[in-house]
Amino acid sequence: MATKVVMEALSPTMEEGRLVKWNKNEGDAVKTGDSLAEVETDKAIMELVARGDGVLRKRLINEGDSAPVGQLIAVIGTADENIDALAGGGAAAPQAPAAAQEAKPGAGEQPPQEGAVPAGPAPDSAAPPAQERPRDARTSVPDDAAQSQGEASTPPQERDRRGAERTSTGSQGATLGTGSSEPGDRVRSSPLARKLASERGVELTTIQGSGPGGRIVKKDIEEAAAQPSAAQAQGAQAGKERASAAPAARRISTEGDYQDIPLTQIRKTIARRLAESIGPVPTFYLTAELDVERVAEMRDSIIELGAEYKVSFNDIVLKAVATALQQHPEVNAHWLGDKMRYFNRVHIGMAVAVEDGLITPVIFDADTKGLADISRESRELAKRARDRKLKPDEYTGATFSVSNLGMFGIEHFTAIINPPEAAILAVGGVEERVVAVDGAPAVRKRMNVTLSCDHRVIDGATGAKFLQTLRRLIENPLLLVY
Amino acid sequence: MPSPQLWVVSLGTVPYADALELQRSVAAQRISGEVSEDVLLLMEHPPVVTLGRSTRNANLTASPELLKARGVELFEVERGGDVTFHGPGQLVGYPIIDLKRHKEDLHWYLRTVEQALIDTLEALGIAAGRNTGYTGVWTGGKKIASIGVHARDWVTWHGFALNVTTDLSYFDLMVPCGIPDVTMTSVARELSPSSMTVSKVGDVAARAFARLLSLEPVYFDEWPTHPAPTNRARER
Repeated sequence: MATKVVMEALSPTMEEGRLVKWNKNEGDAVKTGDSLAEVETDKAIMELVARGDGVLRKRLINEGDSAPVGQLIAVIGTADENIDALAGGGAAAPQAPAAAQEAKPGAGEQPPQEGAVPAGPAPDSAAPPAQERPRDARTSVPDDAAQSQGEASTPPQERDRRGAERTSTGSQGATLGTGSSEPGDRVRSSPLARKLASERGVELTTIQGSGPGGRIVKKDIEEAAAQPSAAQAQGAQAGKERASAAPAARRISTEGDYQDIPLTQIRKTIARRLAESIGPVPTFYLTAELDVERVAEMRDSIIELGAEYKVSFNDIVLKAVATALQQHPEVNAHWLGDKMRYFNRVHIGMAVAVEDGLITPVIFDADTKGLADISRESRELAKRARDRKLKPDEYTGATFSVSNLGMFGIEHFTAIINPPEAAILAVGGVEERVVAVDGAPAVRKRMNVTLSCDHRVIDGATGAKFLQTLRRLIENPLLLVY
Repeated sequence: MPSPQLWVVSLGTVPYADALELQRSVAAQRISGEVSEDVLLLMEHPPVVTLGRSTRNANLTASPELLKARGVELFEVERGGDVTFHGPGQLVGYPIIDLKRHKEDLHWYLRTVEQALIDTLEALGIAAGRNTGYTGVWTGGKKIASIGVHARDWVTWHGFALNVTTDLSYFDLMVPCGIPDVTMTSVARELSPSSMTVSKVGDVAARAFARLLSLEPVYFDEWPTHPAPTNRARER
């Protein structure tokens, strides 16, 4: 008989676990007690151990994925056993295991691993008795903390059953988002979340779930209840970010052009806490004063070659930024709500002031273009922007933006990030300043740059390292042709 | 019925690879029941950088060549958490605890390890606490101890690293624990001037662990080859 492997609770309050490593491959022979996988919570790793002998037939989630406690994540069986009913025909969709379990509700048909799952009647209390939770026999009864959390750890078939009950009675219909019992239509949410939502009058459809697959969990409801308007604004903002990401994705995203980074627990914690503080884009700013004496010399020598070679300071800055971004994909990134996207290609949005606002035409693949191309393209794009002749695909798809107000005599400013981009560089004017050089005062051409960073994606040191690279390139502009 | 014990094993300086092998073997024996009591291995390591399961490459800012030039070894291990450094002057503790005997809850366990270190620091005159969302022990906004654990069958290994007289410049080689902008500190820096040593702090920490876990501490200078405690236990 097949043995189910489910996500286990590393603590009574845990709602979901992130699988960080599989220790067995599909097809590997496993014995009871073998380590199958490692699950992360906070700073702790727990091994999931096989509770039956056989062959690891199917792995249902990938390394880096999270799954709710109790969800089926793998199946152990004999080499030739038909496990389709358990593994949902091999589909890795998170709903599949729940459906498969629901199809076999009788406790007698449960595999040996879940011997502790009750055969008793459907629970009618809000918090089921602790022993109904899918834990192995050695596991002690949880302490009082489990009382408030017990429902969160309810096995999936339990959730579905009770969800269906509520739908059929209609008593909780409003909080289910739709009255429909079609699983595909339903707002995905945990039972505890639904209960809390109805208690606190929170509309589930207005909430962006933070659980796997956008599932709404207890924490989301608590946050929404604490700040209803902010939560809705965030949801709307997330929608907008996705909407603006979509055309970008069409234009620039073919496989291999970027790398999607699953969110680690610490990354999720950083994102949530910082967004709570300054939402919805928790921004911080890094300023550096760069010496542009050598850029000025280089520009002068280029211009001496003739008017057709004329380049601006900004062209050189764009070139340097593109080169630096190439080395720092973690700054050349988008925040996509459930993941970060690091781009391998560099498409720089260039903020251009127009009569009634601003627009950011894009220099695509700027890192592969020479100074002449960048200079010509930026001039043309700026002119077409002012003439309102840009086509949508010319001002969407940036992976990073640069804004320069130096021509207005601005020494230093901070620019506002254009979501879903994770950063924007504000460039001030070039001016002569008295600075100490080797211990003596000297007059040097200097320029301030300020990087605005979305802290959900970029940490202080990450942004600072990008600026270090940019400084090296701007202060040694020969590296741009190296 | 004798009260349950905590075998406190003070090993001095141990190369990381040897310590890894020892704690894996002790954990396996704790799981099988060959070792019948909980264990706390206390030691120092020669300079080493270890990468936990959630390490992002970007958080190790130094190249393997630079690490080598500074005489720092590099290990990738099965504990939770991100990158960290161990070296002389740092008290490293590997509690090998059967949580089935205490509480099957890794969050509780992480908080207990933190509390033991907070109690230890308090006994030394340093006010330390937690930083919600960032496992570890902090004082005045600086991180003084790191924690990363691994468990199987509810038996833990890996553990904590408390800076006593650690050369903190080693932490510049990385983004410690994957937390940007973190400043590390040490007992010596907080108490300066201080005559604290790793071994003195280890004694205090062992008592704090034993008290929090309601265990009777029994002391050893090396891992007892025979699993039963012997008369080599020292009085303190």
